[in-house]
Amino acid sequence: MPDIAVADFVVIGSGIIGSTVARKLAQAGASVLILEAGPRVTRAEIVARFRNSPRRSDWMSPYPPAPWAPHPIYQPQSNNYLVQAGPYPYEAEYVRQVGGTTWHWAAHAWRNVPNDFRIKSLYNVGVDWPLEYDDLEPYYQEAEVLMGVSGAPNTGSPRKKPFPMEPVAEPFAMRRIRERLASAYEVVTNTTARNSRTYDGRPACCGNNSCQPICPIDAQYHGGLAAHAAEAAGARLIPDANVYRLDHDEQGRISAALYYDPDKISHRVTGKTFIVAANGIESPRLLLLSASDKFPRGLANSSDMVGRNLMDHPSTSLTFDADEDLWLGRGPQSPSSIGVMRDGSFRAEHAPYRLDFTNISRVVSATSALIDQGVYGDEFARRLRYSAARELNVKNVLEILPDPNHRITLSDQKDAMGIPKPQAHYSINDYTKKGHERSQQDFRRIAELLGGSNLRFSKDGAYANNQHICGTLSMGSDPKASVCDQWARAHDHENLYLAGTGVLPTCGTCNSTENGMAVALRTVHHILFEHKASDAPASPRAG
Amino acid sequence: MDDRNAALRAKEDVTRRWLLGSLLTAYTASLVPWALAQPIDDRDQGAFLAISAIIAGHQALDAQLAKRLYDALIVDDKRFPSMARELLSLIDARKIEPLHLQQVLDAEKSSLAGVPRAIARAWFLGIVGSGVQARCIAYENALNATIVSDVLKPPTYAYGVYGSWAAKPV
Repeated sequence: MPDIAVADFVVIGSGIIGSTVARKLAQAGASVLILEAGPRVTRAEIVARFRNSPRRSDWMSPYPPAPWAPHPIYQPQSNNYLVQAGPYPYEAEYVRQVGGTTWHWAAHAWRNVPNDFRIKSLYNVGVDWPLEYDDLEPYYQEAEVLMGVSGAPNTGSPRKKPFPMEPVAEPFAMRRIRERLASAYEVVTNTTARNSRTYDGRPACCGNNSCQPICPIDAQYHGGLAAHAAEAAGARLIPDANVYRLDHDEQGRISAALYYDPDKISHRVTGKTFIVAANGIESPRLLLLSASDKFPRGLANSSDMVGRNLMDHPSTSLTFDADEDLWLGRGPQSPSSIGVMRDGSFRAEHAPYRLDFTNISRVVSATSALIDQGVYGDEFARRLRYSAARELNVKNVLEILPDPNHRITLSDQKDAMGIPKPQAHYSINDYTKKGHERSQQDFRRIAELLGGSNLRFSKDGAYANNQHICGTLSMGSDPKASVCDQWARAHDHENLYLAGTGVLPTCGTCNSTENGMAVALRTVHHILFEHKASDAPASPRAG
Repeated sequence: MDDRNAALRAKEDVTRRWLLGSLLTAYTASLVPWALAQPIDDRDQGAFLAISAIIAGHQALDAQLAKRLYDALIVDDKRFPSMARELLSLIDARKIEPLHLQQVLDAEKSSLAGVPRAIARAWFLGIVGSGVQARCIAYENALNATIVSDVLKPPTYAYGVYGSWAAKPV
């Protein structure tokens, strides 16, 4: 097993965050090697797969996993890759391919609100972050410039510089919702990595209403673009390189990454600094897989916190018929929210939440429902048009608190490469359930203000998952209670950094990507500062 | 000689086109008067098309798409043509209205209950088959897209210039 590559920095995972870290390091002159478990896939391939999919509501259908780098699939039948230990199923979805999961996202690029960083101090729940909003503010801005973020200033997250772009044009349906709720709620434009004008060589949104599973014109930023930018900056990216182990030396420094190619031939990559950026499930899995005599619980795991404190955003929802034609499906999918319940003293008692309005076309779901009901003939067209015009949906995006019992472990089942599968232990606790209960009065009030009829609440006790995987690599000041420090450096290993949403110690009420990006950019700043301080000589480019 | 005659008949069958109305009874014809001039290849395909028209209502049924859907349905179940004929006879004999068709079949646990649902999925969603056997035959031409096409476009199709979605749909 000869060393096949040497680099200053070895980044494991080519998603939006790993690739951005690689890009920044390469731009600073370092040699950078990115190892990506999955294959390269083009935007055109994904668009074609979606249009030809027999499951148009299954947005993972355009992303079939590679046999050598599986990811969880649930339709048309589960591939049982993410083993469920219960008591509540955690059916995470993510994509292992060059660029990672943000090929398929709503492009929400929210900042936390300042109090999200101090919920233990303020509300005696959860934990405080080892940094504050102001520490992250310049990196939020940097992330927004890199991704091309459009938004409005009234979201509760103060900023020192304006958004790179004005908000994306408001769909008619969202305008009517905003106008009709104005007496009770301020409806705000979502902050999104979506172009409202030509930006960074990419076009403005043209309203294809397929932000998920794929923007067909790259009007929204994604990890594929980030990976391309990293390579353009000089990073070398090896696809189909499924890292299954990290090795260390006698001092506990990480010395090599071992990966399988699709033929299960093992390769070894050495480097000076390693950055694990393989998402909130695959990253802890890799650290646990790397257990050794010296680190029997896995790398970075003297605290036994690797994989613990798994968080996401559970949602419940209300679907109803408005009293006017609104025609969801014109323009971007997820344009508007209500943020009034994102923060307040109530957080001592129950989960905060954001209320999110969908603008996803109702045509496919209404069609399926009518077929199930056996509605045929001219009545079908009449009712389809009614549902497509009138149906609205509002959901909550609930905070779930860090709980060590919610965790990713290694299963005793193995994947196709013979590597132990990840296993999820998860539940919905009372704090989150109380938030759900509180949100029901908002649901009812919203429906009332929109003349709602035929109210259909989501099934009692069922929480949809939003695929915002957090917490499994939590940063913190106490090495006994966290995996990494405020710079996302593993407490246990001098040359091991973690990047991704797994390092976020709490999940707040908004999509996690921008928070993960900002923390990672701060990590890069720290790494480069330290390297400059130590005057480390630059190595030749990886090769 | 018999073989030669059979070959000639087969050739004639391929080239001959009937109209849907020619195989319908007065009742089934009354359900789909707008579709009576629809060309059909044979009685089996005609039964499929008649049920398609009953299910789809006043929607224009593209002849090429009809052929592709029919061929795909036969691949899934070779009994499909005979079941479609049987269902058409049942509709005629019992004067079943389109809106009640599925409920009647489901209530009676009829062996034909899957036929209208499969045809509805084919035309309205463009999908034939289920589970791992499901495949997409139509997308932008599926009837659920064309029924709303004056207002909505199928996802991945652009609305037009930036911001064109901000105006009230007309």
